Amino acid sequence: MSSVTAPSPAVEPEQPLIPVTRGRRRTELIMLVFVFGLVAFAFANVGFSLSGKLPSGLAGYLAAFIVIVLAGHLAVRRFAPWADPLLLPLAALLNGLGIVMTYRLAAQGNLLTAPLSRSATIIQIAYTAIGLGCFVAVLALIREPRVLQRYTYTLGAAGIFLIALPALLPSSISGVAGAKIQIRLGTFTLQPEEFAKLALAVSFAGYLVAKRDVLALAGRRVLGIDLPRARDLGPILVIWAVSLLLLVFESDVGTSAVFMGLFVAMLYIATSRTSWLLLGFIMFVAGAFAASKLFGHVGERFNIWLHPFAGSNPSHNAYQLIQGLYGMASGGLLGKGLGGGQPYITPLVQNDLVLTAFGEELGLAGLMAILLVYGLLVERGLRAAMSVKDPFSKLLAGGLSFMLALQVFVIVGGVTRLIPLTGITTPFLSQGGSSLVASWMLVAVLARVSDTARRPPPRPIQEEGLTQVVTLK
Amino acid sequence: MNRALRRISIAVLVMFVLLLINVNYLQGFAPASLATKPNNARAFEAQFQYQRGNIVTVDGVTIAESTPSHDIYKYQRSYPHGPVYAPVTGYDTLYSQTGIEAAKNSLLSGNDSSLAVRNVVDLLTGKKRRGANVTVTINSAAQTAAYNALAALGKPGGVVALNPKTGAVLALASYPSYDPNLLASHDGTKLIASDKALLNDPANPLLNRAIQATFPPGSTFKVVTGSAQFTQHPGTTVNTSFASPTQLTLPQTSHVLTNDQGEACGNGSGQAPLITAFAQSCDTTFAKIGMDLGAPALNAMAGKFGMNAALAIPLSVAKSNYTIPASLALTAYSAIGQFDDTVTPLQEAMFAAAIANGGTLQKPYLVQNVTASDLSTVQNTSPSMLSQPVSSSVAAQVGQMMRAVVQDPNGTAFAFNAQNEGGLVIAGKTGTAQNGVHNTGLNDAAFTSFAPYANPEIAVGVIIQGGGYGATAAAPIAVQVIKAYLASLGQH
Repeated sequence: MSSVTAPSPAVEPEQPLIPVTRGRRRTELIMLVFVFGLVAFAFANVGFSLSGKLPSGLAGYLAAFIVIVLAGHLAVRRFAPWADPLLLPLAALLNGLGIVMTYRLAAQGNLLTAPLSRSATIIQIAYTAIGLGCFVAVLALIREPRVLQRYTYTLGAAGIFLIALPALLPSSISGVAGAKIQIRLGTFTLQPEEFAKLALAVSFAGYLVAKRDVLALAGRRVLGIDLPRARDLGPILVIWAVSLLLLVFESDVGTSAVFMGLFVAMLYIATSRTSWLLLGFIMFVAGAFAASKLFGHVGERFNIWLHPFAGSNPSHNAYQLIQGLYGMASGGLLGKGLGGGQPYITPLVQNDLVLTAFGEELGLAGLMAILLVYGLLVERGLRAAMSVKDPFSKLLAGGLSFMLALQVFVIVGGVTRLIPLTGITTPFLSQGGSSLVASWMLVAVLARVSDTARRPPPRPIQEEGLTQVVTLK
Repeated sequence: MNRALRRISIAVLVMFVLLLINVNYLQGFAPASLATKPNNARAFEAQFQYQRGNIVTVDGVTIAESTPSHDIYKYQRSYPHGPVYAPVTGYDTLYSQTGIEAAKNSLLSGNDSSLAVRNVVDLLTGKKRRGANVTVTINSAAQTAAYNALAALGKPGGVVALNPKTGAVLALASYPSYDPNLLASHDGTKLIASDKALLNDPANPLLNRAIQATFPPGSTFKVVTGSAQFTQHPGTTVNTSFASPTQLTLPQTSHVLTNDQGEACGNGSGQAPLITAFAQSCDTTFAKIGMDLGAPALNAMAGKFGMNAALAIPLSVAKSNYTIPASLALTAYSAIGQFDDTVTPLQEAMFAAAIANGGTLQKPYLVQNVTASDLSTVQNTSPSMLSQPVSSSVAAQVGQMMRAVVQDPNGTAFAFNAQNEGGLVIAGKTGTAQNGVHNTGLNDAAFTSFAPYANPEIAVGVIIQGGGYGATAAAPIAVQVIKAYLASLGQH
């Protein structure tokens, strides 16, 4: 039998030709309801354990938080309808827990080494509003991640300027706890490096996409590893130098490690050359080791890490670390309950060591849950990077996700004595604004990339007829 | 690029797994070791969140308890009888503990591993967690008598009473004492002020003189020298005659040893039966016996009585010392409780207890039992032997001589004979130890004793620093403790 060309069947407009991934905005909303429930429960928990009744400002705080986050949700519906539905709820959960912890610490704020006023909760909610405002702004202004590629060098320069700013300014407006990472404007402080990280991530992505072919060229082969050509080492040397300068002039080991790690990871993603990873790692460790020998404050970090209980360390240099460890240990498996512990004993618990407060009050169970939330957030970011087609977006999303993971690793590893403790903020959880706003912008970029990746291709405007298959017998 | 991204994902996974493992270690396994670290204010303050166990005497007097308080901590520690029992209870402050409070801290606070299962049961059944109660072997009548007698005399010293048959500590008193309630304050400023005042007090009230301070035993050490003589020369009886010169020139020196007031010993013939020399406490007789026996024999016997060894009851006891002298002349002094001999009041009680118990020295113990809040027994002390310093026949002979000290008209402690004490037969040995540089200090008074002679129920050791004569300063206190204890038993 021979088939003949059949007339094309009528295509029904309701049935798209290509299966479309659903936007899953409703899933996002349902998960946000869970987040609101959790945060409300945590708030109530603090109130009951501190004063035996619901916190007085609970309704107001909660309403403000819900309105702010729902505004973010609506913006996602409007500007990035295909975005990954997990990103916003995960970030909102961490942010909500951060607000609860700020409230909890402020309730006993006079016991803290750096007292926290009652208004800290409101300020933190205001930062959340600014953070989600920036989140919405990023989604609204950057409709296509590729447009960022245009600002490769502008953002690179801006990033370096922001990092260098505190070191250049007199320490009267930039010094805090031995490190120069802040700019103080009256009572308001800004940590420019938080934004510098984002700017540099974009800049790295743009630069590496343009140069990846050159950088991937193999030079000499040593011990089975293809080393890059000497003439291509320029960029990595520049970043290395900047990270070392950070280390030396701003005493900021953590951020220095995050910068270096970010660049090396992006270099690796761009070129798939293991040699870059190796080279970057060796350069950073060698640099950090040399700095630890040459500069007292860096060497002190290693001493505290290795011998926290030796000599006068427990009552002096390692006091903060050890008190954090004691706090986590006293929390044990299930914790003392929010409001039931004594996190205020640990100096600066509201900033760098906020995770020890969660460990003390929510226990191992709560801490693992928080770590898994971070892990999920990073994983969703990496998934977006893998599924997006455009190399720039891929590199940007991959780099930002890795940076988030690295930041969590450096600070959580630091407070749990896995690695030397270096003061960087815990994304979303630490009390303070710069880190929170920058973290929301990071999530916005990931949402934008995931939206691009999951967006169905444009439908054909006009039916052009189907190719007919003819079977001949 | 996706291959590299996948590898980055694996790296991220490894990073998070490392973090998870580390927090599991930190919160799952490390807490026990971190809780015992210095500066761990949380672990320390945690104990004030639970009701700490009571410390009770064996006859039911509460000497330390925790009652609900309404300040920053939930419970306030208090010591109803303050200074009387301070050497036993010690104190429990925000920063440190002593005494039973320290020795049994983990049980009192409820953190001990042996209480872990009960704590979980309490948690599940919703019962409030409580620490275990500690019952001490102290007899309240003996303890009160000891402290009151010391306080009435007003001189620094210590008293320890033992049950010779078991080793149970019946009294453990020290003077001057302190009020542990001052150190149980939750007010940090007040606490530091009280602590400073006690530490700077020249009378040193925090020193537990019953077990932590040592003094020269003086003539009470003749119990040891006598025991060594009977043991080394089994033919010796209490009536064997010994050289008892009024003056004894020590070998290789020009130094002449005399008796206390230079008096003659016995009938003045230069010879005296051992029991007479012991009752009168002739230094020349025992100095010569000591030189003949030799320092190693004295050292061995002192060791069997518990000297030269650390002891925990469970409070740690200062070591009582017998040092082997370098010369024969110094051996003579060491045989009469001088030279470098030092003992604690507890050691004094142990001398008498060993003799009273037929030559067997029971290990002194202060904690009778520990009971959990559900009244189940967690720990129970059963008497155990520490050593057998002498045979029962030697013990009987030394006991007979100690009886003579109190009952014979020429005995140094005849004032407390059975006739004066309503028929109670006490046996003992006085000691008056020269003290200070070139013996310029006031003499330390010591007394080791047991009673009743026929069936010993109690052995008491007393040392009064600068008290003068053992018979006038130390013995009356021992007698009061003995009588108070026997009265509480319904005897005498």
